Amino acid sequence: MSAALAASRRTPGSSIVPRIVIYGLLIFFALIYLIPFFVMLVTSLKTMPEIQQGNMLALPKAPTIDPWIRAWGEACVGLTCEGIHGYFWNSIKMVVPAVAISTILGALNGYVLTKWRFKGHKLVFGLMLFACFIPFQAVLLPMATVLGEFGQIGKALTNATGFAFGFGNPTVNLVFVHVVYGLGFTTLFFRNYYEAFPTELVKAAMVDGASFFQIFRRVLLPNSLPIIVVTVIYQFTNIWNDFLFASAYAGSGDVMPMTVALNNVVNTSTGVVEYNVNMAAAMIAAMPTLLVYVLAGRYFVRGLMAGAVKG
Amino acid sequence: MAFLEIDRLVKRFGATEVLKGITLEVEEGGFLVLVGPSGCGKSTLLSMIAGLDTISEGEVRINGRRVNELHPSQRDIAMVFQSYALYPNMTVAENIAFGLEMRGVPKAERVAAVAKVADMLQMGHLLNRKPSQLSGGQRQRVAMGRALVRDPQVFLFDEPLSNLDAKLRVDMRTEIKRLHQRMGTTIVYVTHDQIEAMTLATQIAVLKDGVLQQFGSPAEVYNNPVNMFVADFMGSPSMNLVPANIRAENGRTVVALSRANEEDLILDPGAASEKLGTVLGQDVLLGIRPEAITDHDGADRNAKTLVDADCHVEVVEPAGSDTFVVTHLGGKHVIARMRSDASVRGGQRAPFTFNMDKAVFFDPKTELRVA
Repeated sequence: MSAALAASRRTPGSSIVPRIVIYGLLIFFALIYLIPFFVMLVTSLKTMPEIQQGNMLALPKAPTIDPWIRAWGEACVGLTCEGIHGYFWNSIKMVVPAVAISTILGALNGYVLTKWRFKGHKLVFGLMLFACFIPFQAVLLPMATVLGEFGQIGKALTNATGFAFGFGNPTVNLVFVHVVYGLGFTTLFFRNYYEAFPTELVKAAMVDGASFFQIFRRVLLPNSLPIIVVTVIYQFTNIWNDFLFASAYAGSGDVMPMTVALNNVVNTSTGVVEYNVNMAAAMIAAMPTLLVYVLAGRYFVRGLMAGAVKG
Repeated sequence: MAFLEIDRLVKRFGATEVLKGITLEVEEGGFLVLVGPSGCGKSTLLSMIAGLDTISEGEVRINGRRVNELHPSQRDIAMVFQSYALYPNMTVAENIAFGLEMRGVPKAERVAAVAKVADMLQMGHLLNRKPSQLSGGQRQRVAMGRALVRDPQVFLFDEPLSNLDAKLRVDMRTEIKRLHQRMGTTIVYVTHDQIEAMTLATQIAVLKDGVLQQFGSPAEVYNNPVNMFVADFMGSPSMNLVPANIRAENGRTVVALSRANEEDLILDPGAASEKLGTVLGQDVLLGIRPEAITDHDGADRNAKTLVDADCHVEVVEPAGSDTFVVTHLGGKHVIARMRSDASVRGGQRAPFTFNMDKAVFFDPKTELRVA
């Protein structure tokens, strides 16, 4: 590669062949990745007769957004046919707090593990790192026990005060599971970022009289945008797409998150399989993660720390 | 009682002692420079005064108050860091005001204080910029402004000029000295640059391997180094340390320096001869600074003991303001500092004048001063 590029620098005319090969391969693989998306998109805009007679890759002859409307408001999940919109909001209600809490806690952990080191900080970080390697399946049953306890507490609280304070609520349970499971990753991200963060800034803030949390909020966090964006994208995608925890702890009824609901839409067989509605539902389910990439990706800024220390 | 007292201060990291019982004191308004090679513990000492490092043993007192257990923000100190440590997310004005804000100073007062400091450092036009939009020298100024605005009892500077280019460093050095004269606040300043130490300090503390080597005024440290390390460390070009033999000749104590293919060079030690009587017949190291070896007309007229001698010139290095002339004595290169228009050529013999008032003598084994 580099030899080819070096050669191209010497003789400008010969650069065209390797370039064609490189771009050709890149475009080829990009197409392979995009084809399923393309099929989903065109299918969701077709009518059922057109799907049954036609070519999968063909563009819709008469594009219609009717399948999207049906998926949102009328598709059947199990026995209820009210569309997926309720489950969509279930997911939002679960993902937003889970992402926010796990990101903030990860940032706080990273801050302590790098700037307020204590004896055994390496061991603590090592153990947190270990959390990244524990497979979901291994957590499933112990977590079910813990959540069962939460349910008991919730019942006791309801008996005593008439209000469960979120204990036993499936959405709260899922938030808890995802925060605990995500903490290893978010801590890893922030610790590595803050490891390179100039400690003299923290010392300067200490001399200036800022407290532990003031230093965190006024000095560390405002300079952490790149890693916050990375963490949010990572956590959002993971939690939104999670199916295992969602189906295990909130797998039925009104509390299902989007992923479980989508699975049920596709598996609900009443007569003809409505491919266009299924595809539209899948597109809707994928939309938030796409949106997060498009919106937050712009903030992958570099060089934010320029000027903190000698540049 | 001194204003800032450092009393038998010890710092240990695990089993290793990095500071081994340092005792120093500075009067109010003094300018103490901690100088030494890297790893000598000078920055650690400053961190301990600031409260950013814990004190293993001993005591630090500021204005009579023990501060060992106080948080950095409660010691009434301000610090300028080597990397400037400006908060990149805040403007210059916010950077300067941050310390006041954390102390709950009302907004109007903060604005006034920032304006005053900006005026003093001539950076009013920079107040709304971010640190990334500033040059190195401007960042340095902001870092100083952040310390000045607090009006503390002691300023701590941790190698503040080491990131600047040579010319700017000289300018900022003068600026710091001017500020010190104007404000009269006590300053503790860490540097590895002995010229900075000489020009700024009222008191210099030379450290090596966590041990205080010498503590005194710049002139004392420069002219009367207690050991070979201090003699060699202070001054540029550094002091000539030449192996010599102390002899009695015609009833007088003299210093003999061996020369290649020539008879020994005999120097009259002048005022040092009495002390040198105790090491008669022994080998010592003669320490003499380049500016104490000159051409005849360039010698200090007030010196009591001047010795003229012809020596073989190896190399001549004109430096503009002076000419450095290298000769060979006692098996070592010896640098003499002559006037720029001294007519000396390499490879020839030339007259040198030794100002023996400035000569010092060391024991080659203990490296301590003998005379």
